[in-house]
Amino acid sequence: MSSEFRSYFKKIIRRNEFFVFLLFISIIVIFTSINSSFITPNNLFSLLRFHSYEGILAVGFFIVLLSGGIDVSFTAIAVSGMYLGIRSMIEFNIDNIFFGLLIAAIVGTILGLINASLIALFELPTLIVTLGTLGIFQGLLMTFAEITGVTAINSPPSSVINFGKINIFTVIGAGDKVIGFSLFALLFIVVALITWAFLKYSILGRGIYALGGNIEAARRSGFNIKKIQFFIYSYVGFLAGIAGFIHGAGLRYVKAQDIVGKELLIIAAVVLGGAKITGGTGSVFGTVIGFFIITIIHNSLVLIKIPSYFQEAILGMIVILSITFTSYREKIKSSRAIIIESE
Amino acid sequence: MKKKYLSREYILLMTTVAIFLLMSIGGREVFLCLRNFQSMSSQVVELGLFGFAVGICMIAGGIDLSVIMNANLSAILSGMFLLRYSGEINGSILTIITVCFALIIGSICGLLNGILITKLNITPILATLGTFSLFGGISIILTKGKSISGFPNEFLVIGNGTIGKIPVTFIIFILLTLIIYLLLDRTILGVSIYLVGTNPIAARFSGLNNHSILIRTYMIAGAIAGLAGIIMTSKFASARPDYGTAFLLPAILVVLLGGVDPAGGSGSVIGIFIAVVLLQLLQTGFNIVLGTSTFLKQAIWGFILVAVMIVDSLSKRRGKN
Repeated sequence: MSSEFRSYFKKIIRRNEFFVFLLFISIIVIFTSINSSFITPNNLFSLLRFHSYEGILAVGFFIVLLSGGIDVSFTAIAVSGMYLGIRSMIEFNIDNIFFGLLIAAIVGTILGLINASLIALFELPTLIVTLGTLGIFQGLLMTFAEITGVTAINSPPSSVINFGKINIFTVIGAGDKVIGFSLFALLFIVVALITWAFLKYSILGRGIYALGGNIEAARRSGFNIKKIQFFIYSYVGFLAGIAGFIHGAGLRYVKAQDIVGKELLIIAAVVLGGAKITGGTGSVFGTVIGFFIITIIHNSLVLIKIPSYFQEAILGMIVILSITFTSYREKIKSSRAIIIESE
Repeated sequence: MKKKYLSREYILLMTTVAIFLLMSIGGREVFLCLRNFQSMSSQVVELGLFGFAVGICMIAGGIDLSVIMNANLSAILSGMFLLRYSGEINGSILTIITVCFALIIGSICGLLNGILITKLNITPILATLGTFSLFGGISIILTKGKSISGFPNEFLVIGNGTIGKIPVTFIIFILLTLIIYLLLDRTILGVSIYLVGTNPIAARFSGLNNHSILIRTYMIAGAIAGLAGIIMTSKFASARPDYGTAFLLPAILVVLLGGVDPAGGSGSVIGIFIAVVLLQLLQTGFNIVLGTSTFLKQAIWGFILVAVMIVDSLSKRRGKN
């Protein structure tokens, strides 16, 4: 029994998520010890309300990375989903949140399908293709917004505003202030759970792992590579469309130039969570923890008295250090494997 | 193989000439005048430098996404250096020292990229995305997000002066094109860069020190970025942490249009050079016809990038069959 427990424990310790989780706990401890208002529901719930959409983007980006690809256009897809979703509610005069969400999802999926077709049908390198489509999507959206004269929407329809206010539960914080746990946080958790279950239990999900591990091996073991790629990039597009819409609803302000530029924030969350760009490794859980760490560091620096202009450099450091760490562990693991083989 | 490169450059050159003629006929007075040529030859330089920096890394089988932030960091550090010593040292000498200083800063940034990619075995995309943010972040910390200005006139000549009727920046660009051409085509390092890009394992087994070659490649790219930083600073008479961010997409576009294989190992300086000229002609054309909407231009660059890649991929596939 105890040896079983020990081997189980060892297995956990060896996992990347264990280290990420330790880092997460220590960051919470450090932030709280410097400024006790960090741990209050007021701060945490508001972080979740305004940044859950980034978590959804991170889950989407994780799948791409897992498959051995990279997508930098998802921010442009998100902003298109947000802008076109809310804009069409206004233009068609349909004040129904499901209509807006539907449009955002359709826009996201279509743009994702464009990426998918370029990557799967022409076998183009993912980074450069999505860099190109990032330019196309954002360029066309901004041109459209400029031509129609609506680069920002200050007062979205009332159903969007109400959607942003929905709480799952509320707690009473300091000074009898009612603090709500946003629907968006729940949505993020649901997306993460569905994606996790899908990756773990469906054949398509296993195919994504296989594709990231070794594309040729995946092909020979009978996976339809093109089908998997089509799924990946349209799913990312779908999630990005929804995430963008949520962002707009939470802010109650839509700017056609928003979100693009946040790619690295999301990428940082995912690589911190232990996913490697060479594909095949990582977990949704790691991504979620990575997202929490990045969100806390990126948004709460002021709470521990570090000026906000340190954000960008710290983000870069995190990306570099976390990939270095992952690749170093990989190196140790592979040198161990060689020793075992020679025995 | 050699013939394929030639035909790529040949096609590019013919396209460029055709577009040039088309624009000469279409936009006679606006296009065919000295002022326009001066402004085109001055504008082309940053794009060209960033294109070379990205291109040389891509030939070596990697990519450097950090070049623009590297340029900004070099510009800001050398701008601060310049402000610190201006008035104490003769302006011309100080300008020369500052340029060297920027080249050194740029290559140190490149060195960091190289070490991350080789010694720490990080994928070039993520390593340089990380340093993109790091360099940009350090620039923001140094300037607190503002711009710095107030440089001596001798320094501003680099970006705004002319020799005869030719802008100084353009002369720098031509010289640099020559240097990089000689470097890639006539030196052992250049040939090694192609070899490492084609097949790193074969390169290692033929006795090359891949790590050292890659590190030097990224340092060269960094130095070029540093020079680009100096040119931007001199041209705008100020340095800012967020200059030039719009250059990344067109820089990668000229590299691919110029015939560099994104998988590494092939491509030429001449190809990139013609692609830069071609893109500048198109840019001027768009400015005349469509006005200066940066976003429409961004979309058009994106379209051209994707189109070039599709055509290349199809022709490669046909070549295989």
